[in-house]
Amino acid sequence: MRKYAVIYRSVLMENLQYVLNIAMSFISYFIFIFIFISLWNYIYSSPDELIAGYSKVQMIWYVMVTEALWFGARSGSMARQVAADIRSGNIACQINKPYHYTLYVLARFTGEWSVSLPLFALSSTAMGLIMVGKIPGFRITFFLLTIPVILLGITINAILKLCISLVSFWIEDATPFQWLYDKLLLIVGTTFPIEIFPEVLQPIFRLSPVYTVCYGPAKLAVDFSMEKFLQILPAQAAYLAAGLGLMFFIYKKGVKKLYVNGG
Amino acid sequence: MNVIETENLSKTFRVRQKEKGMKGSLKAIFKPQIQKIQAVDRISFHVEEGEILAFIGPNGAGKSTTIKMLTGILCPDSGSIKVLGLDPVRQRKQLAYEIGTVFGQKEQLWTHLTPYDNFCFFGAIYDIPGGEMKKRITELSDTFALGAFINTPVRNLSLGQRIRCEIVASLIHRPKILFLDEPTIGLDPVVKENIRSLILQMNHEYQTTIFLTSHDTGDIEKLCRRIIIVNNGQIVLNDSMTHLKANYLNKKIVENIVLSPPLEDIITEIYRSEGRSGEPS
Repeated sequence: MRKYAVIYRSVLMENLQYVLNIAMSFISYFIFIFIFISLWNYIYSSPDELIAGYSKVQMIWYVMVTEALWFGARSGSMARQVAADIRSGNIACQINKPYHYTLYVLARFTGEWSVSLPLFALSSTAMGLIMVGKIPGFRITFFLLTIPVILLGITINAILKLCISLVSFWIEDATPFQWLYDKLLLIVGTTFPIEIFPEVLQPIFRLSPVYTVCYGPAKLAVDFSMEKFLQILPAQAAYLAAGLGLMFFIYKKGVKKLYVNGG
Repeated sequence: MNVIETENLSKTFRVRQKEKGMKGSLKAIFKPQIQKIQAVDRISFHVEEGEILAFIGPNGAGKSTTIKMLTGILCPDSGSIKVLGLDPVRQRKQLAYEIGTVFGQKEQLWTHLTPYDNFCFFGAIYDIPGGEMKKRITELSDTFALGAFINTPVRNLSLGQRIRCEIVASLIHRPKILFLDEPTIGLDPVVKENIRSLILQMNHEYQTTIFLTSHDTGDIEKLCRRIIIVNNGQIVLNDSMTHLKANYLNKKIVENIVLSPPLEDIITEIYRSEGRSGEPS
């Protein structure tokens, strides 16, 4: 594990040089949040009204948490870099090193979001407190219990995106699959909680990555209950185990198909 | 002692083909055409410990594909490979500790980090203890004269400086074999000469076996004791540099090119010989 810690530290060092760039990406985040605050202010007729079990403040905080995760842990390296490396042959410089390529990519990604996510978390907390007030029933114990769920959600998302990128060993471009996956997460789970959707669809969404990647962490952040916690955590563990298994399997099969052209 | 042994090594690539124009693009969706290209075709050779071998050939001859199979990046379709007694595909990780690679056209350094941080990174990847790592960095930095730019981010280095750093990064774990795939590509003659001296020095000091591909005859002539020429995936020559010079470079062909004068001059000359004058009509 030491070498993956070194990879993580190196990416961290690299990304710390670009804190200003990360700060610039807050602008689009603020615009999104501002739109959603206005939207929910318009939809809710009174602050006490409940829509799908969420009060107005909870609903806005839900979107703020999921959007902070979306922006703060954006997996560009997972979505584009891996597929580009496979297509261009640059992967050749990575896979002949004494580490597992997929874990190398995951360590890199963790180093990337370790800089951006805390910055997004801090700024969105400040923005939320100023614009809508604190989360109802917030307790520091609940927050501490939610942290591992958030970290697991980010890791599962990275693993699933990496699995999609690794399909580039067989097909020329995995981008359409990344797009479909991203849009599923963005519409179901990030922009709206699962409870907003028709009851027929909810069991399907609860089995999908949406439940473990974005809905679960955000739900616990805005409306923590031990019952929910004990439902989400095992689901994440199952997704993590299955995702890792799938990732190693695809890589093992795919790397034999590698075609590195010229030079 | 042989450190590399290959027997009937072959690799075929399946390359998608597309007919020209929009019609061809649509046809390729429903009826994709795949062309098989024999990149490496039953090649067998060996490399001895401490040897500097040139593996050369025209573009598309199969040089890089062979290197990638020797380093475990590509899986051969058939044949056998042993590098330091290891199977590069099945024992890739184990082999990685024993070999170094420099692909002149691909970067392995982290461009936003300094060479020093890069070397520390590679040292840690190869499980070299901290104290030993610092000692090796100092030693290699002196040998390759990196002192002036060791703390400058790699993205700000010149190509020659970067290639020197790439070689050092590949040597940090003291590999027994160094694979150099066109290491002097794009470098000016002075830097090329510098890199060649360093490669020779490294071979003498650490007894590192060098497996080199290059299109630069200077690299081959100045560095290598043996040469393997490949073409269309097959070995066409495997001989020592001494024999190669004696058997193939002992003759000089002088080509005498007679340039024809322009047609107008020929016609003028005909007129002149017939006693006419003036421009042809």
